[in-house]
Amino acid sequence: MSVGLPLEAPTVSGPEEGPERSDFWVYLARKIGAAIVSFVMLLVVGFVIFSLMPSDPVSALTRGRPTSDAQMNHLRQQLGLDHPLWERFLTFVGHTLTGDLGYSYEYHQPVSTLIADRLWPTLLLMGTSTLISIWLGMWLGIRAGWRPGSALDRGASAVSLALWSVPTFWLGLILLVVFGSGSVGGMPAIFPAGGMQTHGTAGGLAPSHITDVAWHLVLPCLTLVAVIFAQYVTIMRSSIIDERGNPYLLTARAKGLRDEVVRRKHAVPNALLPSVTVIFLQIGGMIGGAITVEVVYSWPGLGYLTFTALRIPDLQLLEGTFIVFSAAVIVCNLIADLLYRALDPRVRRQ
Amino acid sequence: MTLNEGPTRGLRRRRSVAALAAAALAAAAMMAGQLAGTSAQAADPTTLTVQADTQMTTFNPFLSYYDGELNILGAIYPTLTMLDDTGTPEKYLADSWTTSSDQLTWTFKIHPGLKWSDGEPLTAADAAWTFNLIMHNATAATSNGSLVANFKSVTAPDATTLVIKTKQPQANMLYLSVPVSGIPIVPEHIWKSHVSGLKNYRNMDFPVVGYGPFVLTGFKTNQFAEMTANKDFFLGAPHYDKVVTNYYSNSDAAAAALTSGELDQIGGLTPAQFNAMSSKSNVMTYQTQSSGWTAIEINPGAKTRTGKPLGTGNPILSDIRVRQAIALGVNRPELVKKVLDGNGIVGAGYLPPGYPQFFWKPSPSQSLDYDPARAKQLLDQAGYKMGSNGVRVAPDGKPLEFRLGIHSDDATDAAIAPYLKEWMTAIGIKLTVNAMSFDQLNNDLAKGDWDILMDGWSTGPDPTYLLSIQTCGTLPEDNGSNGNTDAFFCNKKYDRLYAQQQTQFDAQARAATIAKMQSILYAGNADLILFYKNGLDALRTDQVSDYLQGAKQSDGFYPLQHGFASWWKAQPAAGAASASEKASEQSSNAFKWIGLGVLVVLVIGGVVVLLRRRTAAERE
Repeated sequence: MSVGLPLEAPTVSGPEEGPERSDFWVYLARKIGAAIVSFVMLLVVGFVIFSLMPSDPVSALTRGRPTSDAQMNHLRQQLGLDHPLWERFLTFVGHTLTGDLGYSYEYHQPVSTLIADRLWPTLLLMGTSTLISIWLGMWLGIRAGWRPGSALDRGASAVSLALWSVPTFWLGLILLVVFGSGSVGGMPAIFPAGGMQTHGTAGGLAPSHITDVAWHLVLPCLTLVAVIFAQYVTIMRSSIIDERGNPYLLTARAKGLRDEVVRRKHAVPNALLPSVTVIFLQIGGMIGGAITVEVVYSWPGLGYLTFTALRIPDLQLLEGTFIVFSAAVIVCNLIADLLYRALDPRVRRQ
Repeated sequence: MTLNEGPTRGLRRRRSVAALAAAALAAAAMMAGQLAGTSAQAADPTTLTVQADTQMTTFNPFLSYYDGELNILGAIYPTLTMLDDTGTPEKYLADSWTTSSDQLTWTFKIHPGLKWSDGEPLTAADAAWTFNLIMHNATAATSNGSLVANFKSVTAPDATTLVIKTKQPQANMLYLSVPVSGIPIVPEHIWKSHVSGLKNYRNMDFPVVGYGPFVLTGFKTNQFAEMTANKDFFLGAPHYDKVVTNYYSNSDAAAAALTSGELDQIGGLTPAQFNAMSSKSNVMTYQTQSSGWTAIEINPGAKTRTGKPLGTGNPILSDIRVRQAIALGVNRPELVKKVLDGNGIVGAGYLPPGYPQFFWKPSPSQSLDYDPARAKQLLDQAGYKMGSNGVRVAPDGKPLEFRLGIHSDDATDAAIAPYLKEWMTAIGIKLTVNAMSFDQLNNDLAKGDWDILMDGWSTGPDPTYLLSIQTCGTLPEDNGSNGNTDAFFCNKKYDRLYAQQQTQFDAQARAATIAKMQSILYAGNADLILFYKNGLDALRTDQVSDYLQGAKQSDGFYPLQHGFASWWKAQPAAGAASASEKASEQSSNAFKWIGLGVLVVLVIGGVVVLLRRRTAAERE
């Protein structure tokens, strides 16, 4: 708490809250300012990275087709690739600031439309797998950390670290072949090999469509959970171990509380903070999708969209997805910072 | 907080675990029920489900480039002619055609009485309008502009007559409007309102108005396209009610989809996938002739159109004897064996075996087959002495060290490179392998900044374009722009023959001229064709029959296959499961296995709970 500030509006929340509130606005302004600076920098970096890529999208697009010089030049003009770099940068910044993310010359659609179309599949896949990973990872991490060295601890640590070390695309392919091909050990195919829906099923909110999508979701989700949950196990486990020796737990036990209650009511809330950071980083990165998993399972999300854009390369689409992904991370970091302040009084006092 | 709180919550939790397990079982049952229900409700049309060759982003035929889109467009829009099993043009919209004595005017008689899928008449005026749009609108020329570059005028004097006048005689006229690789004809009454916004129009107002064996009725980006049969197709109704092309972003997923029964046909398998499928009783694996080649190109001395040297290519390679020695030093049969697992043909001529009418092989006396001893002898005779470090040096003291550019994203290139390096070392040439992106490699190529590069091309049934990229006219201008050359090859005799074949209306005479051109290219050794990679495809014989077009050839390979003919002529196999039966079976499997999984989890959970109960007192 800063001591130099006058105590204002004492009648509403007590004399202590005035300066703290004032501090909050300064804190918020500082964090938002930093987020804006980060965003401007990523605009420049995003443009420079993709512009410096040695590429000729027109020859990539027309590869293998009989295309004359005149046709190729016309395409370059249409795509704005014949303009000088500085002019393209100014156009890019101007368009971005007005919410126009450009036009994909591979998909013949505005980039913002493409991103909006792919947002839901990505959020569904990443959201489901992140939630399951958080729940499973923390559930295991809490119990493993509470009794370090136990069979559960050893098992959970070994399994989660082994899965964490496995390349995602490799695990995805293995699960695909085992559960999606019907060619392993006589086991029939029980999940689809790819895509998000079976052709011919009704769309919208029809129950058959929902179950069909859920059916397609199982393998990609399982792959992601297997890889992601380990980080929650390890973070939660080490946080719980740190808390175990604290005197307040002894006090709780002295009150006669059961071991489970001591863990749940006292140790876990204090051990949660490091996980909050990871959760928000994960949520920020979530919007980018998981490129490898989306590509392995042909899941029509944003990660897969970025993958296809890289092949041409579809510069405006790449720039657009880069901006959206980075902005999501910046916003989530900002939220995490603010939440940290709310969760941990020590941050407020700094 | 009370002391009783713990046990109470614990009980509640166990209840909630039980409720969760019940919910999971119910969800699994519901999922299986819904999936089975979906299939039971279906009207059960026969559906052929195949893999899309590429992703699909637009069905605007004026803008399309991807094979996945072109295959669809070939099935939903008509063309003047189509190709038979041997790749020879035959009638489609045009019942017949004639040429004027000066070979500059073509008159096509269009089949009368046809109607677009919306009931409007399909006439020669639609064809004339389509060609004129491509000729006069730069955006409409995006995909197929080069095909009408020699057109002077196109008119439709009446509903069944189409007249095309050309600036120069054009021998490949009958290949210009064929399904997939040629110009599709679109309905004027639909498209005239889209001309102003052609650049952004994706043609996805379903059902898409067209004419062909199928009508495009649905699409999901990067997932699938659905076509419904046109049972009134005047050349014969398709046997399937629907054709669906599914897109998979990786070939392992597509292969899994074939074995699981989601797909009926798949192409582009890797040798490993192909071999793995060969043992399955309900899958037929087959190889198709190649429509392209893999080669190395050797910089013969990059120059502009006016003969100005260009780039940083090693000048030693402009010596034809060095290029011949390299050709003699490459063991092409070994590459086919090791890199392709034997699934290909040893390379030689410039045009691939998929088009037998143009396939050419060098005579034994001309052939530069693997002969490292002869390669060394040739280099010795040319004055390239072996250096102390095993690398030969030119008479001016410069070593025979060359860069080999390969595509960093191409596994075949990566597999070939070590062999080339080893074989060149054996004859005293050092190669340094540079893996580059496709774009970087192309940029270096255009600027002449290369020594040896991996190269690959495929062609449609008319080879004019592939032949054109070896003409002097495709060299860049002095400022480095507007070049479209493949390997900076330039030979006046070749150019004369190129011009000649364009005017030869007699197919055999044209093929003979093209053979001479290939002989010149072979002798030039700027493009060293390593092999022709066979198409490795597979088919579910328990699901589909009559998919393959043309007879198996003496070498065991099938002719090139085209989606247009295969989809149109394929039939459901006797006893084939319908789409609903397949879905029902898979959902039943899913139910069994999910149920089993949930049961296992419940048993393990129960054991854990029991154990924990027993040891609860100790833990307290």
